[in-house]
Amino acid sequence: MTADPLQLDLLTSRYNYYAVMLLLGIGLYTLIESPNLVKKVIGMNIFQTGIFLFFVTLAYRTGGNPPIVTKGGGPYASPLPHVLILTAIVVGVALTAVALALIVRIYSEYGTLDEDTLEELYYD
Amino acid sequence: MSLTLLEGALLLFVLACALGTALLKDTLAAVIAFAAYSLGISIIWLVLQAPDVGLTEAAVGAGIMTILFLLALANTVTPEVDTLFESVRWRTVFFVGGFVLVMAATVPSLPAIGDPTAPVVGGEVTQYYLENAKKETQVKNAVTAVLAAYRGFDTLGEAVVVFSAGVVALSVLRREVFA
Repeated sequence: MTADPLQLDLLTSRYNYYAVMLLLGIGLYTLIESPNLVKKVIGMNIFQTGIFLFFVTLAYRTGGNPPIVTKGGGPYASPLPHVLILTAIVVGVALTAVALALIVRIYSEYGTLDEDTLEELYYD
Repeated sequence: MSLTLLEGALLLFVLACALGTALLKDTLAAVIAFAAYSLGISIIWLVLQAPDVGLTEAAVGAGIMTILFLLALANTVTPEVDTLFESVRWRTVFFVGGFVLVMAATVPSLPAIGDPTAPVVGGEVTQYYLENAKKETQVKNAVTAVLAAYRGFDTLGEAVVVFSAGVVALSVLRREVFA
């Protein structure tokens, strides 16, 4: 990297990884800071997709094709990260469904979705 | 590979949608921004040679997930909001920014995007699947072959997770659907 003090080649060859880090940051911020429980779940989902982007980027191959094997079709992207992410997407939806069911239940018990109000109600 | 205009635009769109989701105060607006985010990211999967992931993301991420969020909103309240955006808490931004910087410090050690000699793309496991999937499973799509055959137990575990999630959701909501 000595010939490139600004490390611009890092940005042009690894841009997706920087997008991953930013998505993780945005997701984490929403998860921590949003007072609304529904928005916290959305933040968790953004965090998840950041990790998915990391995996799928690792599977990408320049000049390659999607991993559908035909005669003389190669080279192909790696199928394994795609499979892991397919599983993770479905598990993520299951997780979201459970979280939202709990949120609906919390609302019917306490009548609010605001984190601070809930804390007050809980400790009273 | 170098950054193309399409990819740059998609990444910017996705990041903008994510920021909008994080900062919009109205929950319904945040859910809509999140649906747009999912759609953008499913197009990114297509660009990154992962059509199976793209299809799943569009159907499940942008479709089912949005319906789940809308159902949750319909069964709770959407608080009245006076401002469009939430106020930014700089203390949290500081800590999250530190986290992002630490993570970004690892980027120079990662292989360049699309490098054919990178451990994942050029690795032994990938080569094995690509060479033998068609022969051993009679399925052209290597992703399907790995999902349903080589890692079939993984997919069974996924089905168990989805089943338990359904059971938990029903018992939490105390709905007697099967009565």
